[in-house]
Amino acid sequence: MVFAMPLIRSQSSVVMTTEQKLLQIKDLRTHFFTENGVVRAVDGVSFDIPVGKTLGVLGESGCGKSVTGFAILQLINAPGRIVGGEILFERENNGRKEVVDLLKYGARSEDIRRIRGNEIAMIFQEPMTSLDPLFTIGDQLAEAVLVHQKISKRSAMDRAAELLDKVRLPQARDLLTKYPHQLSGGMRQRVMIAMALTGHPRLLIADEPTTALDVTTEAQILDLMRSLQEEFGMAILFITHDLGVIAEMAESVVVMYMGKIVEKTDIQTLFQAPKHPYTRALLESIPKVGHKQEGPLHTIEGMVPSPFDIPRGCSFHPRCSQFMAGVCDGAVPAETFLDEAHSVRCYLYSQQAEGAPHGK
Amino acid sequence: MASELNAVRKPKPLLEIIHLKKHYPITQGLLKRTVGYVKAVDDVSLTLNEAQTIGLVGESGSGKSTLAHTVMRGITPTAGTVIFHDQTRGAVDVAHADSSTLRQVRRNMQMVFQDPFSSLNPRMTVLDIIAEPLEVNGIAKGKAAQERVAELLQLVGLRPEYMRRYPHAFSGGQRQRIVVARALALNPRLVLMDEPTSALDVSIQAQTLNLLKELQSRLNLSYLFISHDLGVVEHVSDLVAVMYVGRVVEIAPTNQLYQKPQHPYTEALLSSIPKPDPTRKKQRIPITGEIPNPANPPSGCHFHPRCPYAQEVCKRETPLLREVKPGQFSACHFSEELSLKGVNDY
Repeated sequence: MVFAMPLIRSQSSVVMTTEQKLLQIKDLRTHFFTENGVVRAVDGVSFDIPVGKTLGVLGESGCGKSVTGFAILQLINAPGRIVGGEILFERENNGRKEVVDLLKYGARSEDIRRIRGNEIAMIFQEPMTSLDPLFTIGDQLAEAVLVHQKISKRSAMDRAAELLDKVRLPQARDLLTKYPHQLSGGMRQRVMIAMALTGHPRLLIADEPTTALDVTTEAQILDLMRSLQEEFGMAILFITHDLGVIAEMAESVVVMYMGKIVEKTDIQTLFQAPKHPYTRALLESIPKVGHKQEGPLHTIEGMVPSPFDIPRGCSFHPRCSQFMAGVCDGAVPAETFLDEAHSVRCYLYSQQAEGAPHGK
Repeated sequence: MASELNAVRKPKPLLEIIHLKKHYPITQGLLKRTVGYVKAVDDVSLTLNEAQTIGLVGESGSGKSTLAHTVMRGITPTAGTVIFHDQTRGAVDVAHADSSTLRQVRRNMQMVFQDPFSSLNPRMTVLDIIAEPLEVNGIAKGKAAQERVAELLQLVGLRPEYMRRYPHAFSGGQRQRIVVARALALNPRLVLMDEPTSALDVSIQAQTLNLLKELQSRLNLSYLFISHDLGVVEHVSDLVAVMYVGRVVEIAPTNQLYQKPQHPYTEALLSSIPKPDPTRKKQRIPITGEIPNPANPPSGCHFHPRCPYAQEVCKRETPLLREVKPGQFSACHFSEELSLKGVNDY
């Protein structure tokens, strides 16, 4: 696999010692200060996204995966606040590369605005709520183009038509005059992707982009995203709860549970040798299509705890089948590396607690 | 005893849907002249046996939910019959029953919807919610109703102590259990489930599916199970029916349908499923185009504009649903000639 890489991307540097990192998130913490207490929606999350690659963020509702996506663009509204961490993003400035910490920019600063939509774009689950029902597709796309480029309204419309072409929507000219309600869900999601492409982003944050779509439409959108990724060389942060989708889209995956990453690995290992009991249980609990299983499905005991009352220690311990009393309900387990690209937060693999000195 | 056992083994039909149609007129102008019809359900026939599950799959707009509502006669059908084999009344045509018969028969058929948040009244306690069908139908009230509610809550795996709480105090999975408890309050024979686990998280979905299967074998229930999740449908169903623009295009025993589909649309659906197996990446050939507008569907076989195997005849003639293999029915002119790929062939 590794040897084939330079052949596919001939323009990239021949020496591939370490992957170029487009985005590095370090110890990101985003908390919500509500009347009922503090919700630690994202609590010490770290991961890297290599240039042009797809990182999947897998988790159930409430695990903090969407908040992580929003935090990258600093789109966190009160009572939420990013309380710590670094988001290092590699920018290209007149051909020169520089690494900036996005969190150093204010949420309303010109700098972050220039990044939003330009260098980092985002698409969401429900495209209907992201499009204004009162304006035509053309108006909305042209508006997005005009934000990024100083051109005439007419050329913006031309550009909008080109973009619709890019996302393989037929009769683009005709579509420009249509309103969102006249489009199907799949077409609307294509329009959203077209809008995200206006600024040629280097990173696309896709938050459950196909969850609301039918399976045939989903397959089309996933294919489209893959070919656009190849064409534009953009990296994708793919947020989803769907194991099938993540298997198709991502090269590496982080699994989140209650605001923390519990396992981080490449996609093959995730499915072939998952280590964290939560990851394993999650994989076992889905009906595997094509392999009908008689008898009950494997389940995860109990339910996701209240975000106001996160269990002590490893937050999965009340539901874990390998719970060790006195260990798992003590301190938070540290991230343990099993190999260079595979880490897990679980006392089954290391006795190291978070923040504790090594060798304890 | 022996004859009784035999009777159990031989599948007894519970619900027979025969040439059921639901067409909505499209009106135009001041006089509301009918200019066409949306054929939401177009000549569907299905037989659901006792203690059996039929899974109903298809893209949104294919008529799955309309079919379920029409079976309950929440929507009055345009044509066709729905025979329900009632234990006391015998065969009843739900589609043409008078209102008092309908009331009686409907006790035996219940529905569970996708969203457990909107199907529970936030101002009613769990006790009131589950006791309501008992009171409305004059079966139990007061203390007796309370006891029955406690029993039902236990049946669905919830603590009876929770009955005085309001829906907001429960998680999505628990709410869906409450919905199921309410559906079971009148001891129905048939439960129509419209995407019952789609709003739930993966880990909760497995619990709910297990519960539904357990209840089925304990209470001898029949399910008509609508879902767009082909993995879930495969897991719960004995038979699977595939709908496309108001018509059933294929129906077969689950394994047969998934491994050896006979209709190109079924093949397309199966190939579109994102499979939780990264080694099988990027091998599928997704179908192009979108589901057609049901107000103006393509001529002949509705699937022909998207079908990779379509020929001239497909534009002209509507294929009939026919048995192409034992127990497997397909509505395609070329089922015999085509060798279609199953879910594991990608």
